[in-house]
Amino acid sequence: MRKLIFIGLIVALCWFAADCAHAADLNLPKDAVAGQPLSIGTSGTGTLYLIGPGQVIKREFKSGGNIEIKGEELRSAGRWIAIARGDVRQSQIFWVKPGKPENLNFLARPSRVPVARPNVITGVAFIFDKYQNLILDPTPVNFNLAVGGTGSSKTVTSRDGIAWTNSASAPKAGAAQFVASVGGTQVRRVVQQVAADPCNLRMHVAGRANNNVVIETDPIRDCSGNPVPDGTIVSFIQTDRSGRSTVDSRIKKGIARAELPVSDNATITVAAGVVLGNELHVGGKQ
Amino acid sequence: MSSPSIAPGRQVSLPSRAVPLSWVLLLALLVHGPLLLMQITNDSYDADFHKFFAAHYAQHWFNPWNEKWFTGFSQTTYPPMEQQWMALFSHVIGLNLAYIFVQLIAILLLPIGVYRYARIWVGERAASYAAIGSVLLGSLASLVYVDGQLSTTWAAPLYLIALAYFYEWAREGKAMALAKALALTMAAASAHHVTLLFASVIFTIPVVVIALMDRKRDGADATTAGVISRSAIFAALSLGGIILVLLPYWLALKANPIKQMPIPHGSRENFFSQGWLAVNYILVPWGAMLLAVPFIFVKGLKESRLRPLFFGFWLTMLFALGGTTPLPRMLLGMLAGVVNVITGANVHNPFDILTFERFSFWANLMALPIVALLAVSLIDRYGRKAAFVLGTLAAFTVAFAVSWPVYHPIHDAPFSTAEVISFLNRDGHDKFRYLTLGFGSKMSEVGIGANASSVDGEYNSARLLPEMTQYGSAQLTNSKYYGTNGIESLRAVLKHADQYGLKYIFVRDPYYEPLIAFAGWRKTEVYDRGNVSLWVKDGISPAHRTPYGTPPTAMEGILWGTLPIGSSIIALLLMLMFPDKRRKLEPIEFPLNANEPVLREAR
Amino acid sequence: MGRILAVIFAVLTVGLIAIGTVHGSRNAQASTPEGAVQAMFGNAKGHDWNGAYSYVASSSNVDQGGFIRDLTGRNGSLRTYSQLDSVNTRVLHESDTEATVRTELKYATAVGVSFDTRDLKVVKEDGAWKVQWPAEKEVHVPPQVIPVNYLRWDIVWRGAGDDWGAQNVENPNCRILSMNAVERDGGLIIMGEVENEDTVPAFITVGAVLTDNAGKDVAEESSFDKISHVLLPKEVSPYRIDFPGIKKSDVKSVRMTHDWMLVPASADPVIGVLHQRIEKDITGRTVLKGELLNESGTTVNIPHVLATFYDNGGKVIWVSDAYSDHALLPQTPQPFSVALRDDLAANVHTYRVTVNHYSREN
Repeated sequence: MRKLIFIGLIVALCWFAADCAHAADLNLPKDAVAGQPLSIGTSGTGTLYLIGPGQVIKREFKSGGNIEIKGEELRSAGRWIAIARGDVRQSQIFWVKPGKPENLNFLARPSRVPVARPNVITGVAFIFDKYQNLILDPTPVNFNLAVGGTGSSKTVTSRDGIAWTNSASAPKAGAAQFVASVGGTQVRRVVQQVAADPCNLRMHVAGRANNNVVIETDPIRDCSGNPVPDGTIVSFIQTDRSGRSTVDSRIKKGIARAELPVSDNATITVAAGVVLGNELHVGGKQ
Repeated sequence: MSSPSIAPGRQVSLPSRAVPLSWVLLLALLVHGPLLLMQITNDSYDADFHKFFAAHYAQHWFNPWNEKWFTGFSQTTYPPMEQQWMALFSHVIGLNLAYIFVQLIAILLLPIGVYRYARIWVGERAASYAAIGSVLLGSLASLVYVDGQLSTTWAAPLYLIALAYFYEWAREGKAMALAKALALTMAAASAHHVTLLFASVIFTIPVVVIALMDRKRDGADATTAGVISRSAIFAALSLGGIILVLLPYWLALKANPIKQMPIPHGSRENFFSQGWLAVNYILVPWGAMLLAVPFIFVKGLKESRLRPLFFGFWLTMLFALGGTTPLPRMLLGMLAGVVNVITGANVHNPFDILTFERFSFWANLMALPIVALLAVSLIDRYGRKAAFVLGTLAAFTVAFAVSWPVYHPIHDAPFSTAEVISFLNRDGHDKFRYLTLGFGSKMSEVGIGANASSVDGEYNSARLLPEMTQYGSAQLTNSKYYGTNGIESLRAVLKHADQYGLKYIFVRDPYYEPLIAFAGWRKTEVYDRGNVSLWVKDGISPAHRTPYGTPPTAMEGILWGTLPIGSSIIALLLMLMFPDKRRKLEPIEFPLNANEPVLREAR
Repeated sequence: MGRILAVIFAVLTVGLIAIGTVHGSRNAQASTPEGAVQAMFGNAKGHDWNGAYSYVASSSNVDQGGFIRDLTGRNGSLRTYSQLDSVNTRVLHESDTEATVRTELKYATAVGVSFDTRDLKVVKEDGAWKVQWPAEKEVHVPPQVIPVNYLRWDIVWRGAGDDWGAQNVENPNCRILSMNAVERDGGLIIMGEVENEDTVPAFITVGAVLTDNAGKDVAEESSFDKISHVLLPKEVSPYRIDFPGIKKSDVKSVRMTHDWMLVPASADPVIGVLHQRIEKDITGRTVLKGELLNESGTTVNIPHVLATFYDNGGKVIWVSDAYSDHALLPQTPQPFSVALRDDLAANVHTYRVTVNHYSREN
């Protein structure tokens, strides 16, 4: 009986030893990183398949040498499965982490915004490594919004690979450079900050030409002092005994100008969109 | 079909013999083969229309509902036979060659039909001359190479052959002749419905009359009542057969009667009001046959056997003159009046819907037997000189008709539609509908190649969109030629672009640019080196089914895919399996002059 | 017998052709003032210019070339895209030597049907009535340099190679300022104004969907050409959407649909609208008249005038439009006229005219 128990124990021990020896056939690192070389220890002869997200690597191995995977081969972060086939038949799961931040996808909205509006500009940055693996570890991202060299900067730590910010538009019109940067990587977007509605719209008689009276506005600015963009429509309306005359003029070089027929007693008004300007009386008493 | 021959033992010179039909067919091949292979006919007015229909049959044999035109229409509104043959051949030789091949078959059938029809009225030699004449008709060349009226050129010879068998049946009561006549009549109806309507009057009535006159001729011994009753049987069976083979057509017509406003057409004008109309509708189709008109009048009325033919010819000729005489408008108006009284309907005068150029062709066919008699007498009198002159005149006639579009172009400068088709077939552009402006008949070419659906189309009778039917204009692509009606129809369609999913407009003619620019389309791309521009309207939803028109049922689709082409196959099988017995040779030619024919050579 | 029949049929054929062919010669002398006007335009319609000119009185002081250009248009104007369709005439006054004939000309043009009503003076010359053609004064713009700071917006769209985060240029902000639904002539009309509030040009379309009491959509229409589709920054356009045959009582609600697109555009040309006034035309109908002045240096081929009429509460009560059949040459005033409904004329407190245009590419 004792002999039998002894034999049974010996068999169990051999089984255990054999199993332990088998487990050592694939020696996978615990801290694999995408884009970095990977060394996998093997024993026996066979084929190793590494199956990752959207990627498969195949290697033959002989007499238990290490398998070297180059950094540029191991591109995908995430869950991988290593399967060995040959003398041994085994599979193991291992995880590959993303590499260091090297790419940013930056969504800036909107592309065009009126000046001096609170919280109208949003920026969302997605942080990726060299091989477009989303970096889930918290990473500081710097957002910088500047017009003409002046502006604001803010650092936000990403969560689950995403960092976002919002900001007011500057009081100064112009193409704002909205830059997101992480490490040595930065992405630039342009947010056009445009003048708001005209403010204090005024016109005056600038002279005569071709039997017409030339009406010209003062430089047209919004309430923050930004020039209203060229091309904006300014309507001049003259009312006299012969009827109404209107010219939808375009702002050029900051001012709008129109030629209206000469009249001995006319009232001229000016408007841009729904904003009204001053009123002129020409020909009679002003 | 037996070839004509001459009486044995008669020693006659070459011009005095009947020309074998095989020679005539060879002549047809020699004249029209090269012209067809040059693909001149592919540029004809209706060629792309037929190819468009055939392309649909090639893909959807049993589904006649075609969504590529008018936001969806049923092809059961047009008899399908020759288009279905094209569809079959297209799988082997492609659509362009299939069209040419099917057109060639029609051209080869014509001398056979004319010969058989002429034999009712004249002798073998004159009939063979008539067959030769049919090959060189200006009206045939005009229909084939300018108008592209494949259906008319197919239906006419089938009717003519059918009438020859009907003549045999009416006089002799042969069942096989009746079967052949019926099969050919149904095949002809499957080829063209308009020919069916008019040929049943203008071709058939003279044959009924001559059958009555000939009831005791050539060994026949029929009674008047017998001829009339057999004619009635033929008419009744034909009517039943035609209703059956074109059943989906009648159902479509009943569901959607043609209610469109009259569309202007040159063939309804007075041809003497403008020079080009006279050339286009008289000189080109009639050619040298105009010289024979006095003879046709004299001979046709002098010989009692030819009078029925002459009256048929005369009436057809007046119809061929369109609006030059008041008679067609008057007669068709009376016909509409009678229909209205009987049915209580409100049918407009068909004169305003019909086009009359095909009547020249029919009048020519009816004149050929009499003209052939003139040729016989001239050749008998002047021999080879007359043959040479007649041949030259006929050659000039066909040459003038073929070349007429060169001197009076019907198309603008050629341009490529490949980029237009390519645009429509990529990136999901076929989710929306499109329109072409200034494309002419190239519109059908786009329709054949593109998967997308158009609101326009080339077959006026199939239009159901109210924006099109309530105005007297034809295709939107040519709307500027229809005056206020055309442009108002175009405006009405563009106004409803949202409903129709009409997003893309391809403009070939800058005339249309102001309207579409003011209506909210933007020019986005240019094709074919600036020949064609693409205009896009934003905010248009993808196209969806419109409520106009009902697709044919599955059973109608099966009937449409089997019966019309089946009738032509049955006719072919009857002709092949039961060939006509060679007729007894006839030494006497019409007109009979008992003393002359045999002795003339001896003199 | 045969020959007699042949002669009878030949005569019959010729007779029928003669009946169909015989019609009054268009070039016969006019025996009435109306006949002269009809004959002149009849010939013009058939492009028989010699025939048409033969009905022009010598006192008109217009040469044939000028007469033809008057009828067929100049400078790529709408008239050059037109065909005369029909002519209606009515004699207003007639004496032995002269008469006035009111002539309503109907044209098929590239943008739709166009009517032109004129009172033509007809005089008797050498025993025949002839039309005293009111020759148009051909305008020649003097050689000059017109400085234009050519202002336009070009757009660089997002390219296929850009990463997915790269933003595209956004569509402009526009706003429907007002909407007024009225029932006129058995149909429902929805009109109002729309403004481009942005600083970039906008391509706009405005439509409406009508919903009945059961909540079902009953009709959908768009403003089609009763709107200015390209709006520059801060520009306001009227719009009008017609629903023929729909009663206001059958409609529960109106759902406005619109589409604003950013498009490349030019700020030129500037078209002034001068001397606008409401008055009656020669037929007694109320019209808004004025002059268009092209202040830029290039020809505007087809001007399209949109007029907005407001009541004293500032509400849009009518929108009408008209295409001018004359091109706008630089710095040259050109009269225009837009119809106003007679029944609304009394309610009109003020109005505004905007000009849309089509210029042919050179």
